[in-house]
Formats: sequence, structure tokens, C-alpha cells
Amino acid sequence: MKMIRNRLAVQLQRHVLQMSMSTNAAAAAAPAEGAAISEFRTAVTNPGEHSALQVAKFYTIPAEQKKQIFAGGGLPKQYEQQIKTFTEACLMVRNPALEVLEYIKKADLSKPVVRYLLYGENGTGKTLTMAHVLHYGALNDFLLVHVPWAPNWMKRPKEASNAAGQEGMIDLPFDAAAWLVHFKGQNSKLLQRLELKTSKEYVWSKRESTPAGSTLLELVEHGIARIKYASETTAALISELKLLSTAGKCKVMVAIDGYNAFFHPVTRIFSDNKQRVTPDKITLTHPFLNITRYDWTNGVCILSVDKIAMTEGHMDSYMPRYLLGTEGFEHLDPFVPIHVENYSDKEFHSYISYYLDRHWINKTPQGFEEQLKFMSNKNPYALMQLVRAL
Amino acid sequence: MANSLTRFWGQGSLQKHVVQTGLRGFSSQQNPEVEEEEEFRVLSLRTVKQQFQKRREVKKDPVTPPRSNRMAVDQDWTAAWPGPRSFHPASVPLPLRQGFTERGAAAPSKFANAELMKIPNFLHLTPPAIRQQCEALKKFCTPWPKGLETEAKWQRHFPVEVITTDYLQALPTIRNPEARRVTVSLKLSDLKFDAHARDKFLRLVGDRYDKDTDILTFVTDRCPLRKQNYDYALYLLTACYHESFVTEPWEATKSEADMEVYLFGRNKSKLSAEEILNWNAAEGAPKVEPSPSYGQSVEQLINEGENEYNLTKYKEEVKKMLNIASQ
Repeated sequence: MKMIRNRLAVQLQRHVLQMSMSTNAAAAAAPAEGAAISEFRTAVTNPGEHSALQVAKFYTIPAEQKKQIFAGGGLPKQYEQQIKTFTEACLMVRNPALEVLEYIKKADLSKPVVRYLLYGENGTGKTLTMAHVLHYGALNDFLLVHVPWAPNWMKRPKEASNAAGQEGMIDLPFDAAAWLVHFKGQNSKLLQRLELKTSKEYVWSKRESTPAGSTLLELVEHGIARIKYASETTAALISELKLLSTAGKCKVMVAIDGYNAFFHPVTRIFSDNKQRVTPDKITLTHPFLNITRYDWTNGVCILSVDKIAMTEGHMDSYMPRYLLGTEGFEHLDPFVPIHVENYSDKEFHSYISYYLDRHWINKTPQGFEEQLKFMSNKNPYALMQLVRAL
Repeated sequence: MANSLTRFWGQGSLQKHVVQTGLRGFSSQQNPEVEEEEEFRVLSLRTVKQQFQKRREVKKDPVTPPRSNRMAVDQDWTAAWPGPRSFHPASVPLPLRQGFTERGAAAPSKFANAELMKIPNFLHLTPPAIRQQCEALKKFCTPWPKGLETEAKWQRHFPVEVITTDYLQALPTIRNPEARRVTVSLKLSDLKFDAHARDKFLRLVGDRYDKDTDILTFVTDRCPLRKQNYDYALYLLTACYHESFVTEPWEATKSEADMEVYLFGRNKSKLSAEEILNWNAAEGAPKVEPSPSYGQSVEQLINEGENEYNLTKYKEEVKKMLNIASQ
């Protein structure tokens, strides 16, 4: 009896210790702990150094980097909750991400940008693959142009108003401003360091203008402060980024999740005459279509197409051409499709070990792993939903 | 009643005499001899005409035993059953059974069996019968032409097949309107086309072309005579073929939406690929064309529809074209 109580106390202590360590989020402590504990973790936290050796292993994104990159979105909501519960931002190193990283590392940046298109069934990890690549970009001095979930603009915009200058166009001022905040949050350090300047004067109204030669940060801040002009600022910012990166002053990584929303037949936004508008009538669409063209250099585009970015009746297949439509395919072609698949056996086992390690799965009857494998079909999202109750 | 009474009384020994005398006046036909006979006599008060006429017996012919019993084992069957006819049990020396009965019992025999009569039989088409008929027809046949031994050979020499039908009938006229119908068919692969002409030809002939078998069929019956219909069918074939090589001025206005297949050469994909390949190329430098295999993979992806195989092929081609490192 005494012994059991003792052991319990020791375990409790260990728990508290772990919790405190990970909440402190000492970047050095986590890998050391990982190396000591188990074979499903890897101490290599720099995505640039990941290779086939680390496949199916977990690496931890340091908290401050996570805050910098994913503060404005970029991780699925439920994964975010899981991160909060486990008090560590762990990502599994998986093949699709490694493939993209390999391509990016070996890419000749003087050539026109290559568009990588992630596709796959629901819940296979397209967004997390993108997160992995984004982490790489942030550590390797890429300016991130990251749209966490494009369909949000088409499906549930904060506010829609008529665009001032352009006839028949719709502005999403709050969403544009939110995106500018997200952009600033991800890139402010790099922008300060690079000191990028605008190439021409932008006149917003009679009294307001951004002169040529002002920094990009000023441009962004103006857009955030004057929400009315946020959409136009976004367009200006993105065309500036294209010019600057083509001139070789910076590298740009474009990451757009749910990219096919830009080619959806309709949105949920109504125009003045109570008709649903098409995505190309939204001012925010054009800059992001512009930056996914091939007519600039020194950059990479990582896009994802997703079934759930579409609405009912357009969700029959997860294949890229179906989701993009003829127009979207023509816009992107030639692109590199990258299939994100369900877990392999090794990845699945590794994930179960991780859940056990985090004490997320408490009951471990005989054959529970096989049962989970069968029930989830090794689909990451399905597995996450299943183990919630265990 | 009276008779039974008398019998009763007659059997009584003591008072016999008295009663007999008392009743004599009533029973006139009574006589003592009848008493001795055992037959039961009927009292008939009225003389009814007795009708004991015998019914006339229907005279039936005796059933002859079935003919099959008398058939020799080595008889000429073609003589016994010369033509098509529904089944007859006595003519067929086979112990046939057919039909449904209760469980366990044997199926009904061939006699008076409607099931056997219902089904078609081929008793007139036994191999010896066919052989016999072929022998009989042989003297009317000419020898098979040399050099046309196999189907491939005669199809090469005679690509066009003409089908007509002759009708024999017992009518005052020997003409049958159906006899004018002519069917001309040929394989489309026997005709030589270019891409445009083939497309146009298929549009001209419409559903007369069967895609699965690659056979083109003209059926003509609009003229009154067979000869005229045959000429008309050949005219149609000739006219369609030559018309398909004519390019009208309005055909140049065919837009992308009118295309029945995706062609890499006339789409934006080709322009994009060219621009990417010639990025930053010097003025006057030779233009780099995207490789034909890339074009094929795009065409395949769009024309055949998306699947993992086509998409992987497309990916490989894109990687090759853009010089992206493979793992």
C-alpha cells in the first residue's frame, strides 16, 4: 500500500515537473527531454535539417516561433486545442512536407516561381504540412504571404461593402485588415531588417497617400489604421512584394490554404441587388491570384485545395482539377501536385505513442491500437476525434 | 303393401285359409305358383311401357401401338422426320420425359405431354440431315475463290459489305416492298482521313457510326428499287467522305467551348509553359518548346479525367520540365 502511494506521488511529481518545463517552453529543454524520453521524438527542431531519418517523428516548434507564425491562424482549430492541452506545439515530420522542403531547398530561385499544390482527402494533414513548410520559411528569411483559410472570406466575411474606386466590386475591409495584421505579425522582424521600399506613390484619397520610397511596414500600418483602404493596401503590398522579390531584394513564400475558394462558382456575399457575387468580384481575390502567377521570381507558392473549401454540390472529389475548375487549372498550370495521404503504419504507431506519452489515452486494453487503426482508417483527423474520449 | 301382407298371411299356418278367402276379391293377379319363386315382384297398378332399350355402343377403333415401336434401329431418320414439325410422341423413338410432377415421382412421359410440344425441336436438323442437304446443294456451288482463304484476306479485298434480302411468297405479285432495302457497311479504319476530316466525317454521319465496333452503316430505302437504293448508299458514302475534307470559312471560328477534346496546343497551358521555359531568354534566342510528353500528360489528365495515375504522370512531367529535383 505504502509502495503504491509512493509511486503515485513520484508520478505526480513528474507530471508537475513536465508541465512546468513545457509551460516555461525553454527551447533548449524540450529537445533534451525528447532525446531522453523516446524514439518517436526528434531533437531536430529546424525544419531545414529534417530528412528521411526523421520521418514519423515529432519535433517541437518553440513557443515564440509558434506565436510569431501561427498567431493569426494557420493551425486547425482542434489541433490548436490539442497543442494547448499538451502544452507543446508538436508537429510530425511527414513525407509530403519533406518532399516540398526538398524541392524548395534545391530550387533555382532565379526561375519563375513554382506552384506546389497540396491535395488529399479531408483531414489528412494538408494544413499541417503547410505549417511545417511555413516554419521552414520563417526560419530561412522568407517573407510569408500566408492566408490561413481563404474560404473564410467567401463564406463568413466580417463585413462587405462596395469598393470605392472599382464599379461592381466588393471590399472586405475587416478581413483585409486582419490579414494585414497577420502579415505584419509574421514578418515585422524581417521587414525591419530588410528595409524594403515602395516603388511608387499610392494615393488613397485627396489627403492621404503613401509616397514612393516609404517602407513596406509603413504601407501595412497605414492599411491597418485606415481599414477603409485595407483591401487596396493589400493589393499594393502584394504587387510591391512581387517587384521586390523579382529584383532580388527579398524571398517570398506564398502559402494559401483552401486556394480553390478563389475559383468557387459563388460566394455567400450579396451585392447591392441581392445577388450572390462570384469570387472574382471581391477585391481581395485579385492580389492573391496575382501572386500565384508564374511571372515573378525569388519565391515559392505552396497552395492547398480542399473539399471543405467548396460548398455542397461541389465536393465530389478531392482531386485538384475538379476542385480548381477549368479556370483555376489554367491559372495554376504547370504546378506540382503533392498528395497528402493518411498515416502510414509507422506514423500511426508513432502518433499512438505520442498520445500515450501525453497521457491522452488512458485506457489501453488488449489490441486497442489495432482497433483505433481500423476505426480511423489511419486518417489523422478521424484518429484525433476518436481518442478524444479515451 | 298388399303383396307383403299376403305373403305375411300366407306364411301364417293356422288362419291361412280364412284370410285367403277374405282377400281374394282384391288381389286379382295372385296365383299360388308365384309364391314359390324368389324374384321380387313389383306391383304395377298402371301398365307403364317398359323402356329397357339398350344404349347404342360407340364403336371405337382399337388404338394402334405407336409407330416408334415398329421402327428399325438403323432406319433413315431424315425420312421419318423430314422437316420442322412440333413434337409427336409416336414418331420419336426416344424415351423422352419432361415436365413437373410431385416430388420424387418421375417426370411425365412423352405421351400426351404438352410441354414437349411447346418447346422448339431440331429433330429435322440432325447432322446427317444437314450433311445430306449440303450434298444436295453442292452441285449448285462454285469453288471458293483463291487468295481469299482467311477472313482477314477477304476483308482486305472486299471492305464494303452490302446486305439485301429476297422474299419468296405465294401472292399474285412477286414484288415485296421490303426487298428494296439496302444496307452498306464498312470499317471506318479502311478509309483514310486526317484529324480534321475524320472529325467532320463523324459529325456528318452521326449515329451511323458505331464507336465500339468502328463500323459505319448506311441503310437506304427511300428509292423504290434496290438498284437505286444501292447507288444512293454509295453516293452518300462518297459525298460524306469528300465533303469531310472541305474546310469551310466558318470552321475557323470554332472556340474552346466547342472543342470535343482538350488539345494542349491551343490552350493557355502551352503559353504558360512556354513563358516559363523562355523566362529571361535573350532576344532572338531560339524558343524552347515544352516537351511533347508534357503536353500529352496534360491532355491525358483532362481528357481521361483525373485519377492518381494520370496525376502522378503529370507531376513527373512538370518536375522534368521545371527541373525540380526528385527525391
